[in-house]
Amino acid sequence: MAPVTTAPTHAPSAHVGVNRPNPVSVGTIVWLASELMFFAGLFAMYFSHRSVMPTQEWEAHASNLAFPFALGNTLILVASSVTCQMAVWAAERFQPRRTGSLVQINRWGMNEWMVLTFVMGSVFVAGQVFEYAELVQHGVTISSSPYGSVFFLTTGFHGLHVVGGLIAFLYVLARSHAAKRFGHHEATTAIVTSYYWHFVDVVWIALFFVIYVLR
Amino acid sequence: MKIETRLFAALVPFFLIVALAYGLTSKFEPVGTAALFLLAGLVGMIAGYLALTARHIDARPEDDPDGEISQGAGELGTFAPWSWWPLVLAFAAAVCFLGLAAGWWIFYIGIGISAIAVTGWVMEYSRGLHAH
Repeated sequence: MAPVTTAPTHAPSAHVGVNRPNPVSVGTIVWLASELMFFAGLFAMYFSHRSVMPTQEWEAHASNLAFPFALGNTLILVASSVTCQMAVWAAERFQPRRTGSLVQINRWGMNEWMVLTFVMGSVFVAGQVFEYAELVQHGVTISSSPYGSVFFLTTGFHGLHVVGGLIAFLYVLARSHAAKRFGHHEATTAIVTSYYWHFVDVVWIALFFVIYVLR
Repeated sequence: MKIETRLFAALVPFFLIVALAYGLTSKFEPVGTAALFLLAGLVGMIAGYLALTARHIDARPEDDPDGEISQGAGELGTFAPWSWWPLVLAFAAAVCFLGLAAGWWIFYIGIGISAIAVTGWVMEYSRGLHAH
């Protein structure tokens, strides 16, 4: 990639480079802030349906939710944020690969932590698919009732975000494996992908609280 | 980076007050209340990130009232000079949308082209001439 520089008007005399914020990171955060408004729309939809639907009918549908299963799934997603952060710290050390054996977790590099995060995210998605199948068997589908519609739309759009994050992890790993010298280019990729993953995780905690705890 | 941080941070209490006022006058009507409270979250997120970033970097020439333009000379960041991949991705998106209108089988072809385009774009500076 070509480094872009501004042309100094005079010969730089002992010029020290300016340390600037990484535009990729700032851009990712600004984009994620707009994603928050996307989920604001979903929350608004959920709450407005809840306010107009008869309480008994709503509760009859919501009672089909399996709280312990969803809690377990949530804990897996939260734990995957932790492993993702471990991957970021390895990336900031510019360490793509482990230096010890596979069981020496403290010697792991970014790749190992990212693969673990990917596996945990996949388990979360698989858990959601299982949960959807259970709900459909109990007669809660996207077209069965307003409750089914808002439930599948909110959790479904979140699930699509998780799948998007999993695809992003694959690209993080692809860039890391393609690089002979793991540098800022690869580290930045890992860092901004972790921002996205943490964001999706926090959104899920809010969704979990609203859908499963408040009901 | 104080100016940028303050610009966004000042909007947090503003939107909180607006959200509360809107909620109280509309008996907490869900759509607007949720949107306004999360709008405070939107600006808060950016303010928080800018504040965190400011702690990790030194003051820039822009932050110095007596700063000179020439002090900002040097590397600004790393940018792609040009790329064909956005065009391929745009074409893939067009095929996907055509699929929604004309038939789902076209949509799946669009997904295939998207996969090629995204992979090409993401890996552009990791392989070939730019392998490092």
